[in-house]
Amino acid sequence: MAMVTKNRTLISILAALLVPAVLGFSGDFYPGHTQTLRLKGQVLEPAEERPRDDESLKVFAQVIDLIEQNYVEPKTGKDIIYGAIEGAVSTLDPHSSFLTPEEFRELQIETKGRFSGIGIEITLKDRILTVVSPIEGTPAFRGGLMAGDQIVKINGKPTRNMTLTEAVRLIRGPQGSKVTLTINRQGFPQPKDFVIVREIIPIRSVKARVIDGSIGYIRLANFQDQTSEDLRNYLQKMRQRLKPFKGLILDLRNDPGGLLEQAVQVADEFLSHGLIVYTQGRSPKEQSMHFYARPGQEGEFRNFPMVVLINEGSASASEIVAGALKDRKRAVVVGTKSFGKGSVQTIIPLEDGSALRLTTALYYTPSGQTIHEKGIIPDITVKDPEIPDGKSLQVLRDEALERHMRKEGLTDKPWNQPLTKQELERDPVLAEGVEIIRNWPPPTLAKQPSSS
Amino acid sequence: MQSSFKKTSPTPVRRRRLYVWLILALGSLAAASLLLAAPAENYEALRLASEAFYEISQKYVAPKSGEEMLKGALRGMMNSLDPDSSYLTPAEYQEYQKGTLGPAAEAGMELVFKDHLLTVVSVLDGGPAYRAGLRPGDHIIKINGQLIRNITTQEGVRRFQGTAGTKLKVQVLRNDVAKPLDLEIILEPIRPPLVTSQVLQGNILYARVPGFTDDTPAQLAQVMDDARRRLPALRGMILDLRNNARGSMEQAVRTASLFVGEKVIVSIKGRKPDTVQIYRGKERDIVFKTPVNVVVLVDQGTARAAEIVAASLQNHGQARLLGNKSFGLCGITRVMPLKDGSALIMTVAHCYTPAGLKITGNGLTPDVEAKKLETAALTPAPGSPSPAVDQDPLVKQAIDLIKQGRSEALARKASTPE
Repeated sequence: MAMVTKNRTLISILAALLVPAVLGFSGDFYPGHTQTLRLKGQVLEPAEERPRDDESLKVFAQVIDLIEQNYVEPKTGKDIIYGAIEGAVSTLDPHSSFLTPEEFRELQIETKGRFSGIGIEITLKDRILTVVSPIEGTPAFRGGLMAGDQIVKINGKPTRNMTLTEAVRLIRGPQGSKVTLTINRQGFPQPKDFVIVREIIPIRSVKARVIDGSIGYIRLANFQDQTSEDLRNYLQKMRQRLKPFKGLILDLRNDPGGLLEQAVQVADEFLSHGLIVYTQGRSPKEQSMHFYARPGQEGEFRNFPMVVLINEGSASASEIVAGALKDRKRAVVVGTKSFGKGSVQTIIPLEDGSALRLTTALYYTPSGQTIHEKGIIPDITVKDPEIPDGKSLQVLRDEALERHMRKEGLTDKPWNQPLTKQELERDPVLAEGVEIIRNWPPPTLAKQPSSS
Repeated sequence: MQSSFKKTSPTPVRRRRLYVWLILALGSLAAASLLLAAPAENYEALRLASEAFYEISQKYVAPKSGEEMLKGALRGMMNSLDPDSSYLTPAEYQEYQKGTLGPAAEAGMELVFKDHLLTVVSVLDGGPAYRAGLRPGDHIIKINGQLIRNITTQEGVRRFQGTAGTKLKVQVLRNDVAKPLDLEIILEPIRPPLVTSQVLQGNILYARVPGFTDDTPAQLAQVMDDARRRLPALRGMILDLRNNARGSMEQAVRTASLFVGEKVIVSIKGRKPDTVQIYRGKERDIVFKTPVNVVVLVDQGTARAAEIVAASLQNHGQARLLGNKSFGLCGITRVMPLKDGSALIMTVAHCYTPAGLKITGNGLTPDVEAKKLETAALTPAPGSPSPAVDQDPLVKQAIDLIKQGRSEALARKASTPE
């Protein structure tokens, strides 16, 4: 599933390698893309000389020299320096990493929540480039592309043996430009060309449904630039159209996180005042910040009942939201213990277009708890259905994909289409959340220890 | 062009800024003079590195020693070259020198650090790692709870050596298995792998080479010679080189020589044209004086010496390869000690098949692909015994191939190489 989710796949692969959590991704915060510090040529007094570093540096230069002289293939300094930076970064915590210029560009697209393209999700199905779904309202949707369409050529270039990354790169392009997709579809006597004009495509991280005609369900896939705004829009619609509006279920399961500001704004949506989260870095001046809620948002309205769903795939920004709403007793948290990522990463661009993703601060919930390696403990523990042992990832992915292509996924239907009984039965965690709202207030809410 | 020209000719101002960075990042005056002496392109590269180090030293959430980062950088640099290239710290280099005598006990598997992952290339038949449930292609993500990041191939190998009875808990990611597997390996002394053989129904000789040693060529010659004498109706031979990544080039050449004689077996090319070396066998080594239909079994665990043997047999039309694409790793490394007691292990030459294919990074494509198996069959439970040879699906497929006779494709191939 590319286009929208390509970079997440990359991150999730990395995370899957780094953490034991199954299908759970470690996400990151980016409190703004800070600029590199420039020293503007001022001469500082040299620090005291450290002979050991001096020796190390000589070794560093010697190694570059030896590689250039002896390695079996010619290597330039640039070739090997990315490896060096990656190596240096890997001595830090697992959330710090080095991004090549290409990875950095992808990350920017993801966090901005929009890119210029045609608006399809694509995947390799049985090694054939296939449309998973055209996103409603995009040029691909208007142009008549359909789920299951096979993309035979992109601008005349055959897609056989093409990687997903390469296909995404060819389909994306500047706003207003054209791309020609040659499509093979059941019922076509021969492949047909679709010419589609690219435009700015928003990436939606928020999906919604309605339960019982009175309970809102909102799922956040991650936290990017548009997230809190989209959430607010759904909340407004629900409040206007659901009469009575009995409560909200906010689903943060498998949400790996994203932007710190967005986490703060999402939590703020439901809180009228008080601390949401604070961060502490190495130097108090630069990375230590307190974030407070402002009054007057949609979600504060009459303090409607609220349940937050989490699992071991809920990380960072998700944990801030769940932690704040739990600490401040705004919501009942249901599910399993969250991932436990209590650090903030800053993206630091380097001068050749690559970047460092560096852990610069730790964060704490309003009650002063660190999330780091502890996670958020739900008020009520309900486990997601077990993945059968030995069941292959490929099979799981294919099953999810098939459902998605048939538009049978929980969030593939229009938001105002009510959730069916079967859909609820398939998801015991969600079902528990619905039960809690139906029988509000839950006894556990009263028993919670008070926070300072 | 203009901008790149500009970039490569740093102005004095830029030099000074860099000078300041390096002092901050590394606390060293020698840094600046060193950079000024470097060629322009290296200057760019080093400047990027120093910028990165500077940012880390200033902004990372915890203070970090420059020494440790530099060691990490050296490792990362060598790891980025290829899985065989490594940086060894002084302590690791000392261990490495001791290690050449052979460890007291080990896990019985070949590992490489590739694409940021410690990857199992091959697992010795019936060895500790095999019995623990490890399989070729597995990625080891944790050892005793410790996350594996940016280690070198050498260091990864060393972690699985020690005294007999040492228990190691490993967490393993397997392709297409959703959950990481928790396995426990108990180290034990490993005897040199032996060639084993049996005659399968239909007068087909099956020989298994789990790894190459100095004795492998003689052992295999014996097995083949016995079969030739005892079975006048010898119909074919299956040479099983799956899951075999252990051995030297010389052992490979002597083994291939049993089949191809004085033909080219492998050539070694370094950076400079004058470093080409061509290895041939000896005509008198050839065991089968009349043609025998040979099928070589290969898989993703077939690497290094095994790939040399498989490729030379394939290229000279002596055998068909059956199975899955091989690992693609065959390089000549050299150890280069550095001033401070650390050392580099660096690939200085690649192996090329007689047909001119570079093995590293490409791997060998089988003439006949293995039939696809159910996932369950691919991932046997830990501790499960290996199936009997004649129940092995790939051996069955090989028997069918031999019964079908030599294909025309093979006959054509026999005339092409060199």
